[in-house]
Amino acid sequence: MASAELRLIRRRIKSVQSTMKITRAMELIAASRIVKAQQRVQQSKPYINRLRDVITNVGRAAGGPVHPLAEERDVETMGVLVVSSDRGLAGAYNSTVIRMAERRMVQLRKENIDARVYVVGKKAQTYFRFRGYHVERAFLGITDAPGYADARMIANVIMEDYASGDIDAVEVFYTRYLSALNQVATGIRLLPLTAEPTEEDAEPMAPVAYDFEPDASRILDRLLPRSVEATVFGMLLDASASEHASRQRAMKAATENAEELIKVLSRTANQARQAEITTEISEIVGGAEALRHG
Amino acid sequence: MAFHVDIVAPEQIVWSGDADFLVAKTVEGEIGILTDHEPLMAALATGVVVVSAGDEKVTVGMHGGFLQVVDNQVTLLTDRAEIAEGEDRKAALEVAERLAAEEEADEG
Repeated sequence: MASAELRLIRRRIKSVQSTMKITRAMELIAASRIVKAQQRVQQSKPYINRLRDVITNVGRAAGGPVHPLAEERDVETMGVLVVSSDRGLAGAYNSTVIRMAERRMVQLRKENIDARVYVVGKKAQTYFRFRGYHVERAFLGITDAPGYADARMIANVIMEDYASGDIDAVEVFYTRYLSALNQVATGIRLLPLTAEPTEEDAEPMAPVAYDFEPDASRILDRLLPRSVEATVFGMLLDASASEHASRQRAMKAATENAEELIKVLSRTANQARQAEITTEISEIVGGAEALRHG
Repeated sequence: MAFHVDIVAPEQIVWSGDADFLVAKTVEGEIGILTDHEPLMAALATGVVVVSAGDEKVTVGMHGGFLQVVDNQVTLLTDRAEIAEGEDRKAALEVAERLAAEEEADEG
């Protein structure tokens, strides 16, 4: 009969094994999602890049974009949009970006600027709510596979608040996807829009003498909101790819740890079993010896 | 002589290739583009875009966006676009109207 110790160790091995099955499954799922998310990031690039080119061209032709969305104001209230995930088990993915945003808010408070918090994902919502921040709007259930419609909805909410003067500028905190191994939490300013392209590799183009249909300012009126939408869309896609990559990495580490733990536990179990057998043998030998002498 | 056309939606490139004639519907009316068209920047309405390359025609239903012509490069940046089956304008128009309705549903 197995001793109590042995039984306990065997039970633990079983429980670690079943946890490992779960983490391995999650790792595989995340890995397949990364591929899809990466493709979506790639597919969205042409639109965003062309839109940026067009805006730069039109802005030059129209004599620099003087549009409400591009107008610098004194900042009394800053809109802060934090892009996190709905689910955890993704390593430091959420905490990194959330902490970055919170640091910025602390800094803003020192400068006497109010912060208005918008969040994407349940994790940021829970965090900020727990810390006593007022969360203005929470967008949930979109981080797994964000669509353009989601980006448009978020952009519209923010642009409305910006237009009504509730917020004077908007900063977004999200996780940039650089490669499968490298994702960085980043903060960028979304509004007001800056006239010049932020990409370093963008070559300065000669202004194009466009014919406009309708006139340039009306075209800009339509273009700039699209640009905000497309930027938000790009960030959501990046964040989603980063989330899946972080989760894959976290789950891979968890699976490896479980394997290691099982190895150690089996060794202990074997030792315990051997000790039991040794005890039994010595008891039998001792008993036989006693009988012979008796 | 031909010019290059890219029809780009936020989530993917809908169509890309060379063409010698293109018809689109802007907010001010229909417009035809031939090779060596002047630089143009136009806002698109809900409607049909027909791209002709030789004997082949592609009809695309489209909702909103912009049309840019520069140096024989035509770029259509559209919110929503879908290639219609066959060369039937009516089918494409239906696609365009469906896209417009979908967008309203998304926002509502």
